[in-house]
Amino acid sequence: LIATTLARKSVNLMQLVYGQTVSNQGSAVSDSSESEGSDDEDFFKPKGQADKGTDDKSSSDDVNSEDCSKFMKSEFKDWHDRDLIESIRDRFVTGDWSKAAK
Amino acid sequence: MGKVAYKRLKGCRHLRQRLVLATLAGTPVVVDDIRSEESSPGLRSYEVSLLRLLESISDDCLVEINETGTKLRYKPGVLMGGKRHVHDCGLSRSIGYFIEPLIILGLFGKKPLTIRLKGITNDSKDPSVDTFRTTTLHMLKRFGVPIGDGLDLKIERRGAPPLGGGDVLLQIPIVPSNLSAAHWIDEGMVKRIRGIAFSTKVSPQTVNSMIYAARGIFNSFIPDVHIFSDVRTNATGGSSPGYGISLVAETTTGCLISADMAVSDRKTDEMEEEMDEKPNLIPPEELGERAASMLLEEIEQGGVVDSTHQGLLFILCALCPPDISKVRVGKLTPYGIETLRNIRDFLGVKFDIKPDPNSGTVLLKCLGSGMKNLSRKVS
Repeated sequence: LIATTLARKSVNLMQLVYGQTVSNQGSAVSDSSESEGSDDEDFFKPKGQADKGTDDKSSSDDVNSEDCSKFMKSEFKDWHDRDLIESIRDRFVTGDWSKAAK
Repeated sequence: MGKVAYKRLKGCRHLRQRLVLATLAGTPVVVDDIRSEESSPGLRSYEVSLLRLLESISDDCLVEINETGTKLRYKPGVLMGGKRHVHDCGLSRSIGYFIEPLIILGLFGKKPLTIRLKGITNDSKDPSVDTFRTTTLHMLKRFGVPIGDGLDLKIERRGAPPLGGGDVLLQIPIVPSNLSAAHWIDEGMVKRIRGIAFSTKVSPQTVNSMIYAARGIFNSFIPDVHIFSDVRTNATGGSSPGYGISLVAETTTGCLISADMAVSDRKTDEMEEEMDEKPNLIPPEELGERAASMLLEEIEQGGVVDSTHQGLLFILCALCPPDISKVRVGKLTPYGIETLRNIRDFLGVKFDIKPDPNSGTVLLKCLGSGMKNLSRKVS
């Protein structure tokens, strides 16, 4: 069961990025010819990015949105919070090495 | 010359990436409907500036813009590189906007590129020059670009918006034939945090408050924190007051995760006004704290690069020789997703994207397009 859900999830991510053409990538030829047509659709069809974070969604769907690689967040977590600190403790060398290794 | 098949695109979204990929793939492009619905249609001054920059570093390239600026025709030429280029980046976007495409294009030139860029060095929209120096250039190392050998960014003057006055010297070597594929999935643990806090034409005390505030956040994680201060007062400080901070977390496997923030008083930019609705003036203490939080959030997300560098990472992977590259990133950003699409459209490289449920990261695999440095071969 875990394997199937995993597989589905990976397809979803591929679809999210490349659109529906992923499912029938039988031959490279048909894929390339199709991409011409689907290109234009790409610009109009907002590919669902709902689960990719609700922030900044509107700007990424806009054809003329700003060209900016920096991903800005307007809200920040409060890193004085003890639970939050503990949650990434093991990403540092001061944390638990065995836990981080897995 | 016969008829050229132009690739048709719409809108100015991700214009830089598209131009970069079009240049490398040698695909002429036509971009229609550039802000045609807006009250001020057409290309912005920074986009025109970027096109002029492309013209100056390449040979036999053609840029045509129609009267209203809503249509652009670009036929890439041969990338020449060369020394003693000077480009005034203008004041509507910072130098970071121009360095991002230059880094990739410079690698595939005929000669190593040395260019002096003038304008705004640090602003809140683009990656700052400090980030490029500390993080971005080191990323190239992973793909077989020799570091230290003509790969350098010197910040001779800083310039904060709105008046800029900054001056940086960028040196990029060429790749002899091609890049080398990277297997880069081990992000390691954060072992130290470095940073630079700068101020131009304001009291040096602001720098100290930024450092103090950022350090306050990091103290509960790691003791090895060192943030350098860079106080610029006279001519080296540009023409406007401003301050900012750039932080880098270095991991045990040598990955660099960066975050930067800058503040300044931007009033003269009328075009940008619609974008900047929130007040831009943040006190230094809060700025330091926010930058630190941003870095911690990047660390929390995982991956070998921070969210800002995802696009560059994917492009580099796609330009590798036909070999498997494997990278790990945190949550895909909208910009990163768009990069993946553009790479598919121009280079025909499709990534295999798999989420890693254990760490909440995303693993990407791709077969490089086998991009060779053709400009060099021709000579």
